[in-house]
Amino acid sequence: MSAVKKSIVVEQLRKVQMIELLSKEKRLDNRGLTDFRPITMETGIIEKANGSARVQVGNTQVIAGVKIEIGDPFPDTPDKGLLVVNTEVLPLASAYAEPGPPDEDAIELARVVDRGVRESHMIDLSKLALIPGKKVLAVFVDVNVLNTDGNLLDATSYATVASIATSKMPRFYVDENGQIKQSDEIISLPIDGIPVSVTMARIGDTLIVDPTSEEEAVMDARITLVLDEDGNLCAGQKGQPGTLTFDQVKLATNIAKVKAKEIREIIKGEIMKDARS
Amino acid sequence: MKELIDEKGLRIDGRRVDELRPLKIEVGVLKNADGSSYIEMGKNKIVVAVYGPKEVHPKHQALPDRSVLRCRYHMAPFSTDTRKPPQPSRREIEISKVIREALEPALMLEEYPRTAIDVYLEVLQADGGSRCAGITASAVALADAGISMRDMVVACAAGKASGQVVIDLNDVEDKEGEADMPIAIMPNLNQLTLFQLDGILTPEEFEKAFEMAINACRAIYNAQRKALMDKYFGKAEVGEE
Amino acid sequence: MPEVERKYVTPGELIAEGNYKSISNVIRINNRFYATKVGLAEISHEGIRVIPLTGPYIPRVDDLVIGKIVDFSAFSWEVDINSCFFAYLSAQGVFGKEFSPDRESLLKKFSIGDLIYAKVIAYDRTRNPLLSVSGPGLGRIPKGEVVRISPAKVPRLIGKKGSMIKTIESATNCKLITGQNGIILIVGPPDGILLATQAIKMVESEAHLAGLTKNIQSFLSKYKEEQS
Repeated sequence: MSAVKKSIVVEQLRKVQMIELLSKEKRLDNRGLTDFRPITMETGIIEKANGSARVQVGNTQVIAGVKIEIGDPFPDTPDKGLLVVNTEVLPLASAYAEPGPPDEDAIELARVVDRGVRESHMIDLSKLALIPGKKVLAVFVDVNVLNTDGNLLDATSYATVASIATSKMPRFYVDENGQIKQSDEIISLPIDGIPVSVTMARIGDTLIVDPTSEEEAVMDARITLVLDEDGNLCAGQKGQPGTLTFDQVKLATNIAKVKAKEIREIIKGEIMKDARS
Repeated sequence: MKELIDEKGLRIDGRRVDELRPLKIEVGVLKNADGSSYIEMGKNKIVVAVYGPKEVHPKHQALPDRSVLRCRYHMAPFSTDTRKPPQPSRREIEISKVIREALEPALMLEEYPRTAIDVYLEVLQADGGSRCAGITASAVALADAGISMRDMVVACAAGKASGQVVIDLNDVEDKEGEADMPIAIMPNLNQLTLFQLDGILTPEEFEKAFEMAINACRAIYNAQRKALMDKYFGKAEVGEE
Repeated sequence: MPEVERKYVTPGELIAEGNYKSISNVIRINNRFYATKVGLAEISHEGIRVIPLTGPYIPRVDDLVIGKIVDFSAFSWEVDINSCFFAYLSAQGVFGKEFSPDRESLLKKFSIGDLIYAKVIAYDRTRNPLLSVSGPGLGRIPKGEVVRISPAKVPRLIGKKGSMIKTIESATNCKLITGQNGIILIVGPPDGILLATQAIKMVESEAHLAGLTKNIQSFLSKYKEEQS
């Protein structure tokens, strides 16, 4: 129940302990440098949404909902559907989160996650054009952060991907009068591959995976890499004013390659579970 | 007019006129918040976080003799049939106000001068009666935060659909029925803290609906109590040391 | 032998009716007594009170607390004591009345992120709590690990005349410093700290149960057995 400051002040003793442990390749919560916290996922929890997913990475908790609606295409891509990713760090999420429009962190969060999904071509947007040039399907993914404890980037990405991959909608078609109709058939979005995001933080000379709030309060730099199923890098973002050496960037790509595979299995497992139910 | 109650007296979701929707309440669902709860009432899914008492910023908003209660009711864009843009609408702002006014009488704000207590409601899925479910969950979250309360607050809506007085209207009944009347009460002190009416009721229908709503609130209060007891006391025996 | 009746209560619940005295966390309406918090109600000849199981830390004068320095000006440090308000530690109180305001000196003495063990010397409804570190054992905390529990559970952790704390200390070979604000410092060997942390968390989750002292004692001795 503390009075509120702008951000977390990490106790000196804790910082000292953190750095000591890092030199032994351990972290405050006993994890290894490249260990993720436990990741849990639940999809299909909001029936009114076309798709939904609640993801927990440690204590970080986010919920994503997909709404698919008919809309107008962008003028420069008349025969492609729309993908819009929006995130909000709700005031529920921490004592430091305030109600109001998304700030630069929340906007960066949404845009990086969007890039990962878009550039990996997870959804073939050209398959979402109903009447090219006139009417297309718009896929809105809204992600709400319910509780923050670091690494919002990965949690948001996993929830976005899982909710898109398990989305259902009626099959839309155009009748002989040029009217858009809905059939009774329920289909999934046309998905091609699962992109996976891996975020790492640099504290001193050490790179750690999946930072907690405490570790983020102390980190010098942060790098997020998104990989598609073929191991290609399809999005990336460095954060924080600190720097990374070129070797650290290389190390980050190697770590991301391994972790992305592991986490893809978790996401795919949840998608299969959802398909069976 | 859409037929909301069939010849057998069953509503579109199979309930009788005096039946509540299935209800589930969980306590302490968010780690960072000082108090929190989650409620499912029919298809409504709402999570509530309480932060406070805490310092007020900007300082001039603080009151010298009591805490300031602030409430934010917000619907997630994916919570409704058609996507709702994230910016707060006039409806959400009005609902935030009536929820605050429904909770305030129960809180002993004079115990926490110069502070603020924030109640944040996020509707993850809405299906009629979300403000009532939100109030019910908020009282539980406030109790979870350990803020001194004169009583709990519990809410339910009664109304009229297809000519009959009904309890706990769902979304379709709310939109297409003849009246919707959400109320909230403090169940031990027997005081009304929320009253809204949208629609038309004869004086007799009003009396019947009001009584139905009060009884429903008492039933929901039992669920609130049980949820708090389960979280704090489990199935344990009272400590004796 | 005084009889004490106990029951679990939630806010608004009727605890008892009769000619009692209200002690704490209770509202009296005529001769009926209602709980204002989730907790354990105790009814005895002394009166009726509710021991809350949750709630904010409200400072009282003479409380000993563990706080974290979060900011400072030329005149004082701002300290997070896990309460509704930040507390202040005055520079003059630390350096002496002759001290002239100067941020440099404050930064050298206690910097942001430092933990201090302090006493609440003033607090009322019109201002933030004031702290002092003049006194034996008070001041900057140089080492140890910090555990946080709900402030409502601190009395249970301390126990009758400090008995619970002493039990944990002797079993773990550690020194425990308990802040009334729910922050506890443990100093000792790493495995002792781990065990003490578990014991403290156990007290927190079972504070309302019968036989807590016995449970803690058997938990601690079972660990000792496993070690030997």
